[in-house]
Amino acid sequence: MTKEDAQGSTAEEAQSKKGLKKQQKEAEKAAKKAEKQAKLAADQQGTEEDDFAKDQYGISAMVQSQQKLDRELVRVQDLTPEKADKVIWLRARVHTSRAKGKQCFLVLRQQQFNVQALVAVGDRASKQMVKFAANINKESIVDVEAVLRKVEQKIESCTQQEVELHVEKIYVISQAEARLPLQLDDAARPEGEGDEDGRATVNQDTRLDNRVIDLRTTTSQAIFRLQAGVCMLFRETLTNKGFVEIQTPKIISAASEGGANVFTVSYFKTSAYLAQSPQLYKQMCICADFDKVFCVGPVFRAEDSNTHRHLTEFVGLDIEMAFNYHYHEVIDSITDTMVQIFKGLRDRFQTEIQTVNKQYPSEPFKFLEPTLRLEYTEGVAMLRQAGVEMGDEDDLSTPNEKLLGRLVKEKYDTDFYVLDKYPLSVRPFYTMPDPSNPKYSNSYDMFMRGEEILSGAQRVHDAQLLMERAIHHEIDLEKIKAYIDSFRFGAPPHGGGGIGLERVCMLYLGLHNIRQTSMFPRDPKRLTP
Amino acid sequence: MSMYQVKPIYEGGTKVDLPTCMYKLPNVHEQRASSCFSEHAHQNGEPDSAVRALEARQDEIMRKLFELKAAVDGLAKTVATPDADLDLTVSCSLASPSPTACTFAGTADLDTLLGKDLGALRDIVINANPAQPPLTLLVLHGLLCQRYRVLSAVHVHSSVSGVTPQLLSCLGTRHADGSARHLFQLGFTLIWKDVPKLQMKFSVRNMCPVEGEANVARFLFRLLSPDPSDAALATLVDGWVDTAFFQLAEGGAKEQAAALRSLNAALGRQPWLTGPELSLADIACYCCAVQSGATAAAAAPTHVQRWMKACENLGYFSRAKLQ
Repeated sequence: MTKEDAQGSTAEEAQSKKGLKKQQKEAEKAAKKAEKQAKLAADQQGTEEDDFAKDQYGISAMVQSQQKLDRELVRVQDLTPEKADKVIWLRARVHTSRAKGKQCFLVLRQQQFNVQALVAVGDRASKQMVKFAANINKESIVDVEAVLRKVEQKIESCTQQEVELHVEKIYVISQAEARLPLQLDDAARPEGEGDEDGRATVNQDTRLDNRVIDLRTTTSQAIFRLQAGVCMLFRETLTNKGFVEIQTPKIISAASEGGANVFTVSYFKTSAYLAQSPQLYKQMCICADFDKVFCVGPVFRAEDSNTHRHLTEFVGLDIEMAFNYHYHEVIDSITDTMVQIFKGLRDRFQTEIQTVNKQYPSEPFKFLEPTLRLEYTEGVAMLRQAGVEMGDEDDLSTPNEKLLGRLVKEKYDTDFYVLDKYPLSVRPFYTMPDPSNPKYSNSYDMFMRGEEILSGAQRVHDAQLLMERAIHHEIDLEKIKAYIDSFRFGAPPHGGGGIGLERVCMLYLGLHNIRQTSMFPRDPKRLTP
Repeated sequence: MSMYQVKPIYEGGTKVDLPTCMYKLPNVHEQRASSCFSEHAHQNGEPDSAVRALEARQDEIMRKLFELKAAVDGLAKTVATPDADLDLTVSCSLASPSPTACTFAGTADLDTLLGKDLGALRDIVINANPAQPPLTLLVLHGLLCQRYRVLSAVHVHSSVSGVTPQLLSCLGTRHADGSARHLFQLGFTLIWKDVPKLQMKFSVRNMCPVEGEANVARFLFRLLSPDPSDAALATLVDGWVDTAFFQLAEGGAKEQAAALRSLNAALGRQPWLTGPELSLADIACYCCAVQSGATAAAAAPTHVQRWMKACENLGYFSRAKLQ
């Protein structure tokens, strides 16, 4: 074709030699381009023709429930050597993909489990299929038909170490965008390791901004499974003890614990508050003869503190019970519940604990049964022995709490203990004063790894005394009239306490930030997602 | 209440020839002595802590003086009679002012023994493996309870599971006042824990943990009565305690048999292992013998059998009958 063109142009002698040359060059260029395009087209045609496996892969149409397939999908965690040599279907995410010549290795992930899959050119898969598999974006969801094979050498990087999948069909069900805001491997990198190797780590805010992806990491999966476990064990233990689960309103008319840190919400023509705790309502349930109650629900604190352990909304596990003669019956009930939770976690959630430990190493949680109980004055004496200067009736500061936790751990080797008999002045108005020493009260805090998780007390169940205490604390009696009135018609002696779910999880696992154990944390600086 | 009595410096009854030209006054010293006495009586056996501290200090000074006197006496004797055995004389003169340790009646003031109480309960924490219950310590706990107001607690550490109810109630039933910790003089906290060796923690800041049942037993026994100041006797007791733990409890059949023979020989000469009085040696040997089952068979030598019976007749030894 080029030659013919050239010949045709020689006939045109009117043109100058320079022009001729230019023309010639342009023509050549055009010709080359055409040739390339033709080749590409031919190639494409060729592949389409050659690809015997074109039905074995692709991007499937959006699932709009067009058909109900009777196909059994196997879970990744069930892929064991016993199922070897069977053809199975499964749906999983593409965790990583790595193409190498004629084969492509994929790691398929389902929750905290993953398995290696292999697409290799052969009589079932074509070259194009391998190429397709290698180009699937990370985090896309795929359906795979494959043969399960045992492997000679353990695959260290996967949870299913003894098997791999030989892929025969692969379809993309939902495609992820090519650019991920954070890499899962970076988010799951063990603490400290990233800094040493100069590898990337993901900071807290990036994680929380892209919480959906962050929650996919095996660590996050384990944390929230364990959190569900805490709730389950809490309910299970208390139900067995004869407690009744109750639901309390979260929009309330008056602040329950002091007035300072409540959220005000507009409520039609007036304003209302978000409950700081179900305190008053669970007490009313006791007065209503429910005997022993608990509730699991959100509580709100408008504290503008940006610390590792404060949230503005968290889940409260609240207990309230009537007792016979001594409020230590309540302490015994609560501590036993906690011990049952710890035991349950230790025995039933060991894999989750191990998983979290891989990324955030910590010592296993230790506890005593029955739980150690110390008195506040003893705690103060221990701190003074350690050189801390504090008054008898001062509240424990956070560093002192931690120091006391260390001292107790050193001596008793327990991460969980109760500090009893707090000074009356640092407790809310409804706390029962100590019968022998008016400076102290029948109240207690519980600590895990030196941080407070529960605070509770015997409550004043006598309307007259309650009014006196409220006046002493300069609380407007009008606002808590309904509360005081509920004690006028006979109230059993009772006590209780409230536990922060997120704190329990954080401290049980030895994590350092409460945002790690809150799925969508709320703090003074974060309202989304 | 004291280990020994010191002669009053002023005899109340001493008659002094006073001139009769002036008027008479009552004896000042007599008055003070009696008022002091009445104060004691008034407090009903619980003297003021300041008075106690003073007494303790005085006792300490007196003890040191006696020691010094004894040592000087001994030296004087060696100088005067070069043949005399120094050690013997010293130990004799030391032993004379103090009654034997085994009476459990020494001045065991917790403040002087364990240091001043700053508001925290003086809690002795013992970590023991449930596979090897520390019987000796249980017996000693019984003795401590007779002596002091002891708050006893048994806990199970998360490192072990399936502790039998017997072990959980091995310190007896809970005290009725168990809820008010400040009412107690001493805490005795037994934690069943997965430890290779029994461990005692008392003051974690000033004291390293004490390891081994024998050593903890020695520590606890000192709370009951001070170490015998007779070095020979102290050594003898120590020797028996070691025999108990190394041969009776941990030794093989041969060692056990040998230990029983020597027990028998010693008990043939005297009612208790170290003399006329019960001592830590008896407690340790009895408990180790019971634990190892060395005396379970009726084959135990006669003196040992008699002695075991005698031990069992003392109430607090029943604590050792765990299994």
